[in-house]
Amino acid sequence: MAETLKNREIAEDIDVIEVEKVTMPGDRPIQTASRQLPSATDETRERTRAVRLYIFLPIIFLTSALMGGLRLASPDGAFVFIAPALVCLLFALVTLILFVRGGMISVEGWFSDDFSTSHNIANGVVLASVFAATAQVFNSVLPETGLPFWVVTFCFAWSLWNNLFAEFDNKKLLRSLVALFVFAFVAKYIILTGLTAPTGESGWLRSVIENPVRETATALLALPRYSAGTGYIQFFCLLFYFTGLYLLPRMTGSADGH
Amino acid sequence: MKIKYIQILGTAITAVYGLFIVFLYAAEPRSLEEVTTKAMSAVESTVSKGQILTGTYEIDQARFGEGLAAFRADNFVLARDRFERADPEKRDANTQFYIAYSYYRQGWGRVSNDDALFKSGLEALQRLPVIDPDFVSKDPDLIIKTAAELRGEFEEGLNVTADDFNPLKLVRERK
Repeated sequence: MAETLKNREIAEDIDVIEVEKVTMPGDRPIQTASRQLPSATDETRERTRAVRLYIFLPIIFLTSALMGGLRLASPDGAFVFIAPALVCLLFALVTLILFVRGGMISVEGWFSDDFSTSHNIANGVVLASVFAATAQVFNSVLPETGLPFWVVTFCFAWSLWNNLFAEFDNKKLLRSLVALFVFAFVAKYIILTGLTAPTGESGWLRSVIENPVRETATALLALPRYSAGTGYIQFFCLLFYFTGLYLLPRMTGSADGH
Repeated sequence: MKIKYIQILGTAITAVYGLFIVFLYAAEPRSLEEVTTKAMSAVESTVSKGQILTGTYEIDQARFGEGLAAFRADNFVLARDRFERADPEKRDANTQFYIAYSYYRQGWGRVSNDDALFKSGLEALQRLPVIDPDFVSKDPDLIIKTAAELRGEFEEGLNVTADDFNPLKLVRERK
């Protein structure tokens, strides 16, 4: 019964345009046309795709952007918000260029004179959220200060510069980025964090006696001391970012090439 | 829902969420409790700035009254706190005059003045000519009525002159 009602509602939603035969003064009949607009199922699919693209994707990317600069101080776990360095914005810009070159984003498929203004603006907002998330993901995996910052920045610059001139398809590019960021994540949140000495509550001298290697590494490499929760937050930051990239369509509009 | 409405809704949600993230990075709260506190102060500040733009800015009269009561009771630290909360945008000449005056009264001494408080008073007084160059206080309890007179008192108190060693200074009164 319910299915019958639903089918009837769908049938009512189908918009059928009918053109009647018209006889011209010269008694020449013009063409008769009967055109059917997209079915209800197509409309539902379009709507679901729009909700995913314009609501869920920006939320995923902005959540990643929120978490990218968030650290938890040691030992009290207080929030520390670190704004992205200028180099993160540059890297994000280069990464977006890579997305375009690798075919992950088709500029013509996102911005077009054929689209309405609201469509173009909404697409621009989605891409802005992608840019923000990309900048913050770099902010997440780059060490904050000292020698590690310069070393990892140089490695990223080298990789991105090479990628700019390499031939990619979108799958290879995504895989390459996942590998790059996972490596940086492991370097920062597992290796460097392992070298960082915990905050000494019993005084500097005692900390040096108890953890001489880690205290020296912390001092020499200027490693900030964060609580263990920071690594978990940044893990989810990367996870959200790559989930968003996976869901990001190549182009919007009817000819969606996802 | 039409796709166009979904696009507009998505743009609005993204804008609001984006502004929230910018706020978090600007305010840098250290805990979830601080997020609420900083959000409230940000809203208050935005409202005050909006009132300035629309020409409807007014000081908080209740807090000004509390400040005036504390000022008259010689509780100058509390008075300044209330005056500053009453006029967060530092736009009211009368309130700013009381703030500068409170530094004078607190820093004044029969034998010697507190230089740090007098310097703070001078700094506070610098705002007054910008807000109202012709300001004259209407409070009958205040002996000093204008910014120029108050500045003279501060500068005289900060300078060391031969007159400072005049024993008759011990009988002078605070203004």
